[in-house]
Amino acid sequence: MLASSLRLINMSGQLSLAHGGMMTVGAYVSTLLVMKLGLSSWVALPLAGFSAAIIAYLVGFPFVRLKGIYFSIVTIFFSEMVVLTAQQWRSLTNGSTGIFNIPRPDPIVIPGILNLIFSSKVDFYYLVLVLMLISLLILYAVENSRIGLTLRGIQQADSLSESVGINTIGFKVLAFSIGSFFAGLTGGFYSHYILAIAPDSFGFLYTINILVYMTVGGDKKFIGPILGAFILTILPEVMRPLKAFMPFFYATVLIVVIFFMPEGMAGLPERLKRVVRKVLEKKTKHA
Amino acid sequence: MLEIEGLTKFFGGLAALSGVDMSVKPGEILGLIGPNGAGKTTFFNLVSGVLRPTRGRVIFEGNDITSQKTHHIAKRGIVRTFQATNICPDFTVLQNIMLSCHLKPKIGLLETVFHTPSSRRKEKDVLHRSQAILELVGLDPMADVIARSLAHGHKRILGIAIALAAEPKLLLLDEPLSGMNAKEVSETMELIHRLWQSGITILLIEHNMRAAMNLCQRIVVLNFGKKIAEGLPEEIKGNKEVIQAYLGAGEHAA
Repeated sequence: MLASSLRLINMSGQLSLAHGGMMTVGAYVSTLLVMKLGLSSWVALPLAGFSAAIIAYLVGFPFVRLKGIYFSIVTIFFSEMVVLTAQQWRSLTNGSTGIFNIPRPDPIVIPGILNLIFSSKVDFYYLVLVLMLISLLILYAVENSRIGLTLRGIQQADSLSESVGINTIGFKVLAFSIGSFFAGLTGGFYSHYILAIAPDSFGFLYTINILVYMTVGGDKKFIGPILGAFILTILPEVMRPLKAFMPFFYATVLIVVIFFMPEGMAGLPERLKRVVRKVLEKKTKHA
Repeated sequence: MLEIEGLTKFFGGLAALSGVDMSVKPGEILGLIGPNGAGKTTFFNLVSGVLRPTRGRVIFEGNDITSQKTHHIAKRGIVRTFQATNICPDFTVLQNIMLSCHLKPKIGLLETVFHTPSSRRKEKDVLHRSQAILELVGLDPMADVIARSLAHGHKRILGIAIALAAEPKLLLLDEPLSGMNAKEVSETMELIHRLWQSGITILLIEHNMRAAMNLCQRIVVLNFGKKIAEGLPEEIKGNKEVIQAYLGAGEHAA
């Protein structure tokens, strides 16, 4: 889900490395709303998403004017800034110690029909699964709409899009905001899941991980980031005995993918098709 | 329709355009010619808002649009094409047009997310309009071809079609015939003529003199950033200063 939402930003041709920062924002907002103001987590979680989106919107206007690598660099600094703020604003965030004993999401009770209590990890798993599916559906709908078309157009031909009346800056900010909304939402859920947050829970390395998911899966297709996340989550489980070498495997997978499958895992079926067709053509020629 | 007053642009110390006055009347087809480096493309960039002029004003339909953002100017009805091929290479031909059909109708974010009937209707509308434009320019048999694999001439036509989809009142064409073969040139000239007849005002930059002379009602000649002549094609042909600008002073070559 994170990787997919990052892909949406990426679609407009900008590589954001602020996803970790946005998750941190979401995590703190939702935690503080629940713990300090006593709001229900079902109110706090969407608010976490929205606050990340609003921040993205505000910083977006100056940020997206920068192109390519410069945008990415600024977003890294933004992420670090969030982390530092969380560390220094002790009265609110309890500094680098972080916040513990975060309550789990409130139960959903519809008398007679539904009684969901999210006290165990299994319950929580289903909750996140549902949330993830809804989010992916929304992201999928956005991508296959005119907005998605426009974003991809901007990625391919920035000046052309502007010349036919598309507010390219606006659309880039929109993509950044939507992507950040889901990052914030996820951050919020995560904090209620592990029951504790610290400023560096979702640091720069975390963002890089999401980026690796996206790259391994392939960012050209919707299924790519999902596939990437899936494979790279399964991989460590399969290779548990070799746990110490995990970063090494990650790096190897990444390098192999970048060199041999520039379209990522999602591009694999089409590549195979092409290869098979070539082989078949050669055979018929020989015959 | 379009009034240009004292348009001036400096790049560092170099005056790419200095004090150009001109006007485009509604419904006319006006040619802008001049040797390389005369400032023609700079002129387009200033009018379409890509660059800000150092001095001077651009007035469109009575509104001062000097230094407005490109996409605002496009919404007002001035759409330009590019000298270099500028299309979305990974989109199909149809998608390229649809991208540009976005001004009307507007589809909101919530409509998108919930895929409402109204959004579906609007998307259908866009599809129909895009197909109509493809038929107009004759690219309809190639609607589903990926743009990067089009022949050069077709790419250029697609560039014009994309601009058309934004529903311009004033179309700025930047060397639409460059790099085309003879057959493509005559087809494109015919297309431009048809567009003009359909009521779109056209301002055309062209290197191909014969084409510019044939197509345009009036011609403005730039040289070294200054307007050196303006008039009917026949007048321009016989203008001494124009001949000098193109062929060089001192030698008589006619």
